[in-house]
Amino acid sequence: MSFTSLPFLGLLAAAVAAYYLLPKRGRWAALLCASYVFYCAGGALTVVYLLLTTATTYGAGLLLTRLNATDDGDKQRRKRRRKAVVFCALFFNFAMLFALKYLNDTLALLGGGSLSSRLPELVLPLGVSFYVFQSAGYVVDCYRGMEAQRNPAKYALFVSFFPQLVQGPIGRYRALAPQLLDGNDFSADHLKYGIQLMLWGYLKKMVVAERAGVLVNTVFAGYTYFGGAIDALGVLFYCIQLYCDFSGGIDIARGAAQLFGVELAENFRRPIFATSLADYWRRWHITLGQWMRDYVFYPLSLSKPFARLGRWSRRAIGGKAGKILPTSLATFVIYFIIGIWHGMNFRYIFFGCFNGAIITVSLLLEARYHAARERLGIRTESRAWRAFQMARTSLIVFVGRYITRAPRLMAAFWMLAHLFVYPQFAQLTDGTVLSLGLSAVDLWIVALGQAGILAVEAYQERGGRVRAALETKPWPVQWLAMLLPLGILLFLGILRGSYIPAGFIYQQF
Amino acid sequence: MKEKLLQVLSDTCPGVDFETETSLIDDGLLESLDLVTIVAELMDAFDVEITVEDLLPENFNSADAMLAMIQRKLA
Repeated sequence: MSFTSLPFLGLLAAAVAAYYLLPKRGRWAALLCASYVFYCAGGALTVVYLLLTTATTYGAGLLLTRLNATDDGDKQRRKRRRKAVVFCALFFNFAMLFALKYLNDTLALLGGGSLSSRLPELVLPLGVSFYVFQSAGYVVDCYRGMEAQRNPAKYALFVSFFPQLVQGPIGRYRALAPQLLDGNDFSADHLKYGIQLMLWGYLKKMVVAERAGVLVNTVFAGYTYFGGAIDALGVLFYCIQLYCDFSGGIDIARGAAQLFGVELAENFRRPIFATSLADYWRRWHITLGQWMRDYVFYPLSLSKPFARLGRWSRRAIGGKAGKILPTSLATFVIYFIIGIWHGMNFRYIFFGCFNGAIITVSLLLEARYHAARERLGIRTESRAWRAFQMARTSLIVFVGRYITRAPRLMAAFWMLAHLFVYPQFAQLTDGTVLSLGLSAVDLWIVALGQAGILAVEAYQERGGRVRAALETKPWPVQWLAMLLPLGILLFLGILRGSYIPAGFIYQQF
Repeated sequence: MKEKLLQVLSDTCPGVDFETETSLIDDGLLESLDLVTIVAELMDAFDVEITVEDLLPENFNSADAMLAMIQRKLA
């Protein structure tokens, strides 16, 4: 059941009505029912995996809480048992995730193509990596002392809350559970804000992303046919498509949750305004980055091997580089993992290494950059410097998108090389662009849509709050702010002649 | 002990006002990388073991909070 389908809107409306009609203490049950209806509509059999994750992490949480509370005097033994529980729960769930999502690709990558082709083709359950990551975080939090949820049905809601099930954001139990389980009061503001945010998400997805996707598909299907400039245009449109698709989907999820008074975690913070690649990744898919930080980066950085490496590097290398070498290495590992989180193939492995290498080298050379800037007399607070930083970051991200969207890693290199050896700039103006599946009007809609999104984000980046600002306007303006996007959505999104709804890109991850 | 702590902190993250700031984590003045670098330096300088469970904002929001955590570890 896609967010862009009528059945989803019907389910959402029914869930909202049931939620507020039920007494407060039973409202969570409406959310649980709606979540399982939503999930089963996407393939009833795949619900088995969701139930397995729910059952194993629920049990692990209870065991950990019991072990945390036990005081048998043998701390070491208790610690070993707690570690064994965490290990078993995480191993089971990540092994399941690996088998469902990565096994075939891994065998193909390692040259076992014939074995890979003999394995049964497993249907990838909807949002599996999102709910496995969210549940794994819960288990680790219980290991670190958090009290587990004792009611299995209430815990099942935390794992399966339907607005966030398909593509996140990846929630934390401490933040999410009270909002889901306590029963929120009806609020007209929640409804209004939720609908506004959902409309904004639908505009991004259905008016901009799906249009941009048409050109992207045409260019990447025939990248050898076009010159490098058209290939670059395809990559630029892919950047627009990916951002509007993913952030639009998250806006829909967060808006849908707001209808129930639930505030999901922020997952995007205007990445186009990032001033470095590390800053970009702090603004893009924020909840995955925070998950990696809390559950992989911190434990890895503070592990005994990394502590030993740190002592050695401070002694042998010295200075700032010696101090940050182990953390830089841990940073590289994190980006490598984020790369393969997207898929087990050379493109994503290289993408992880590409990001990890740039960020690691930047960290190690940071002191030299500072010194060089001071020598050149660059004012770091100036607008020109900030614009340069943003442009530099955008360029690096742009190159990275060649890697993730090209059909193969070598194709990405080929396309990048093509940009320099066979750019064919004339193809940008000789009518070739109009043969890529979009009319001139559609191209204008994508460009103006993206410009509108950037204008709103520039306002937000300066501290502006769109919905709060609308509150201060007279009611006709507030209504117009609701009806205008709805009108645009209807005429430029849903009712356009050749509209074919496309799935969300991050659903596949 | 506080002077030693402030020396370690300012050597590790020059430019951050550790003497007066009380929301180093909450206000984003220290990022994850700074935090683990500081932890490694503190473990080295004070010979204490700081674990992942200790990486809470309330333990690192100010120099005083870090000092209190170290003193708890040493006690």
